[in-house]
Amino acid sequence: MKEEVANIKKEFLKEIKEVKTEQQLADIKVKYVGKKGKLTLVLRSMGKLSPEERPVIGSLVNEVRDEIENLVEEKKQELKREELQKRLQTEDIDVTEPSKKIKRGSLHPIKQVIKEVEEVFLGMGYEIADGPEIEKTYYVFDQLNTPIDHPARDLQDTFYITDDVILRTQTSSVQIRTMENKKPPIKIICPGAVYRSDTVDATHSPVFHQIEGLVVDKNISMADLKGTLDMFAKKCLGEKTQIRFRPHHFPYTEPSAEVDVSCFVCGGKGCRVCKQEGWIELLGCGMVHPKVLQNCGIDPKIYSGFAFGFGVERIAMAKYGIDDMRLLFENDARFLKQF
Amino acid sequence: MKTSIEWLKEYSDINVDAVELGDILTMTGSKVETIEQCGNDIKNVVIGKITEIKQHPDATKLVVTKVDIGDEVVQIVTGASNIKVGDIIPLAKDGASLPGGVQIKKSKLRGIDSNGMMCAVTELGLDIEDYPDQIEEGIMILDPKYGKKIGKDVVEVLGLKEDIIDFEITPNRPDCLSIEGLGRETAVSLNKKFKDPRRNIDEMKVPDKKEIEGLTVSIEAPDLCYRYIARVVKDIKIEESPEWMKRRLKACGVRSINNIVDITNYVMLEMGQPMHAFDINSIEGKHITVRRAKKGEKITTLDEQVRQLDEEDLVIADSKKPVAIAGVMGGENSEIEDNTATIVFESATFRGGSVRKTAKKVGLRTESSSRFEKGLSAENALRAVNRAVELVEILGAGKPVEGKIDIYPTKQKINKIKIDADRINRLLGTEIPKKDMIKIFEKLGIKVEKDIAISPYFRMDLELVEDLAEEVLRFYGYDKLGTTLIKADTTIGLRTKEQKIQSNIENYLVDSGLSEIYTYGFIHEKDLKKSNISSDLNKYAITVKNPLSEDYKLMRPSTIPSMMQILSTNLNKKNQEVGLFDISRIYKNIDKKIEKGEVPLEEKVLTIGMYGDNIDFYTLKGIIENVLEVSNVNRYNVEKEKKNQSYHPGRCAKIKVGMDEIAVLGEVHPEVLNNYGIGRRAYLAEINISKIVKYAREGKKYEEVPKFPAVERDIALIVDNQVEVGEIEKIITKKGKKLLESVKLFDIYRSEKLGENKKSVAFSLKFRDKKRTLQDEEINNIMDQIITELEKSLKAELRK
Repeated sequence: MKEEVANIKKEFLKEIKEVKTEQQLADIKVKYVGKKGKLTLVLRSMGKLSPEERPVIGSLVNEVRDEIENLVEEKKQELKREELQKRLQTEDIDVTEPSKKIKRGSLHPIKQVIKEVEEVFLGMGYEIADGPEIEKTYYVFDQLNTPIDHPARDLQDTFYITDDVILRTQTSSVQIRTMENKKPPIKIICPGAVYRSDTVDATHSPVFHQIEGLVVDKNISMADLKGTLDMFAKKCLGEKTQIRFRPHHFPYTEPSAEVDVSCFVCGGKGCRVCKQEGWIELLGCGMVHPKVLQNCGIDPKIYSGFAFGFGVERIAMAKYGIDDMRLLFENDARFLKQF
Repeated sequence: MKTSIEWLKEYSDINVDAVELGDILTMTGSKVETIEQCGNDIKNVVIGKITEIKQHPDATKLVVTKVDIGDEVVQIVTGASNIKVGDIIPLAKDGASLPGGVQIKKSKLRGIDSNGMMCAVTELGLDIEDYPDQIEEGIMILDPKYGKKIGKDVVEVLGLKEDIIDFEITPNRPDCLSIEGLGRETAVSLNKKFKDPRRNIDEMKVPDKKEIEGLTVSIEAPDLCYRYIARVVKDIKIEESPEWMKRRLKACGVRSINNIVDITNYVMLEMGQPMHAFDINSIEGKHITVRRAKKGEKITTLDEQVRQLDEEDLVIADSKKPVAIAGVMGGENSEIEDNTATIVFESATFRGGSVRKTAKKVGLRTESSSRFEKGLSAENALRAVNRAVELVEILGAGKPVEGKIDIYPTKQKINKIKIDADRINRLLGTEIPKKDMIKIFEKLGIKVEKDIAISPYFRMDLELVEDLAEEVLRFYGYDKLGTTLIKADTTIGLRTKEQKIQSNIENYLVDSGLSEIYTYGFIHEKDLKKSNISSDLNKYAITVKNPLSEDYKLMRPSTIPSMMQILSTNLNKKNQEVGLFDISRIYKNIDKKIEKGEVPLEEKVLTIGMYGDNIDFYTLKGIIENVLEVSNVNRYNVEKEKKNQSYHPGRCAKIKVGMDEIAVLGEVHPEVLNNYGIGRRAYLAEINISKIVKYAREGKKYEEVPKFPAVERDIALIVDNQVEVGEIEKIITKKGKKLLESVKLFDIYRSEKLGENKKSVAFSLKFRDKKRTLQDEEINNIMDQIITELEKSLKAELRK
């Protein structure tokens, strides 16, 4: 019987070499070690053997069966590897073919500038405040130390709904509303649409956007204002940006200043955007006029504050090299997608 | 303010060039607008004398001349015909430069050498109108007196060099609308002594009179006229003004008329006080009244225009009629004529706002009114009239009559301000010693007595310690100001709930391929009709009283017209697939708020506009659902909307939270598309942002992931075409009760085989209990109830 077992093994080894598929492998397994397999049959016929021979042959058969099963398993793994290899080869793709992404849209360039500025000031602890666009003259002029016969109130500059209600010409009205409703410390910026009676052309629009800022607290100084604007300019327009304060006049601040920034297009060397001057006039600012504080019920002897304001379109245009303001409001999808 | 530097030098030494001076003054508050440097571009042009003129041998229109230029005689070929031997002319030598970058070089004209060029007036960059004796096409023929200057530089001899700076003067500084004021600023800015050349005027004593040469004055409107001074000059000789005066006037942009008118303008430029001169004979009754105009009263001003006035306007009148609009312009009836013998100089102070209003109304903004409107010093008025009389004497233009009539009902207030150096330093963030501050004040003409600064008459803008702080900073240096960051209690910068939601929506829409647009709040009245906006909404539209044009007349009560306009623009530009959004405002005058002096309602609306081959109602619906999802609005219903005329009545839906409508979406009504020239389907949605914010849940809670298996059941129904999927879902949800976890449509099928006007809809239902495994029977039971109800309410038929 020993011989028979040896032959079965030999036969198996020969056959397994020829196996090409998992099915063939399964068949072979059945043929040799299945319920009616050759080796199983040997085991069943052991009854004929003498009691001395039985354990010897028994362990021999088991040994061979383990061997066969191991070989089948090995072969199985080998076949799987081969199959995977084949699949990987057939599944080769061209990675340079176009993608299937959803095309992204874009935020309007005005919004992008506003958001950038918002982030800088949020980081410095400012809140973002908002108010009506159709506003009472009380908030736009009266409370801002702009007397009844001040030129800013002219029909030529301001859109009127009635004598007392206008389209706000500046977002300063939001500053007043905030100061009237909140005690210092106040730190806000107010971005928003403002209206002035300018005919549409390459550099004018009857609607444009402003961002104004206001801080009221104890011991706020003009140097704080300069430091704040310096930080803002560096974060929004580039770390190398320089600022320049020049004296100016606004009825609602004293002292007042106009602020130029080193041209963020050419870095101050002189270019078309800065008209070869190296500087771009960016914003107006100053220390909140004591009369304005008083009007809002804030004691100027205890508190001081600063305010600043600038136009968003100007920055967006300079920053992105847009040479005609009308493009911003025409909203051609091909224009919008560039941002 | 156009400023001649030559004139400025009367007030301060100036040791820098025009450009540098401009930079320095810009940094102390007088901002340069433009710098004009005349004569700098003329080089190598000298005085020459023509000694010989011969016909050119080969050209009938040319002559060959010899010109003596001192150290040599040069040959010049010219085509000019207005020259003769002995004429003194400007000659550009070989290598000369002329304005406009013109270079003069030796050349041959028809074979004859020409070693330069004789210049015409305009070739020297001069205005032909300033040289009435010269002809434009000919050579400039100079006065024979220049024969003594042959060979000398023409720029020097004719005084062509002129540096002029135009300054932007802020409205709080009318004193700087004068050479004197700018001279003082220049002196302080350059750290020079202010020369104060008009000290003699300040010290002049002119006695007060009630009446001069029969003339009397009264002020009837002291609220509008703070001071009125008149001085009289007899034996007037109307002449041209001397060259020096004409030149200074011209440099400052004022045309010379005659000596008397020029004196008034000269004083205005020099001292900042506008003046007026009348012919005394034109004043009927010899009495001047400063009064409000009568309603409908008319005056013909010096520019020959008839102006209509009313009670808001102030006039200078004689006993019968107005002779001038106060502070704006004189009347033709009192104009100085060539035969005028006696004149009245008027120097007055009017209420700024009143002059401005009148000037605006009559449409005359003059050099005079633009000064008065800023509020002028009444003290300066006296100096000005005395200076005018002095100039009359200098020019020998007449004989001043002694004394002045000076009506001064409202004395100019002189402000006294306590110098609180500590407060100034705290406000500025500086550490400037008090004595340095006082030095600055004194240089500016601000008297300091102990701790009190007394504002000079010409600085009416100085009222508060903050104003002093600005003066300190201007001359300490805005550029020297440090940069510090606020030292105060920490504040927290956070976006509000609404700002966060808006930001999330924007980001989602951009990620989904939509681009943001910015639109005006203005619309044309017709836009409402073009967009089929309902009259319910139309009535809330707000009208601008003074619109730029009809296109900008209304403040929109709906964003649809704005979006439709932009979609139309994009289609015209052949953009084939477009998805746009806009978060902006609509304005509604509800409850006549505006008429009550209140602000109207403003609502923030998200508007979406789309068109394209791959876009339909359901694309848009998906976007809106996601907008609601990113905003955490979870419970809402979608219902059909048939009444909104801007949308296709069969393809429009509204989204409601409870009974509250928060959004409308749908296909644009074909009529509206047609009105905007859009020849394809387009889609619109309007979502009320405030309502989104109202219904947005804050904070999320973890829900346990289910442990027990779900039971899934599919059903297919045949229903009438009109039956909405939403209706079926509603019944399924109702009858499915708590165990129903979800219901999902997975197929819609329309075919005639199903019967006329029928469709098949198939849903997949999922049931689950969080605490146990469900039994088949209880689900069967629920399914039976669902089907029974569907059959009953919707006449649905189970498809087998």
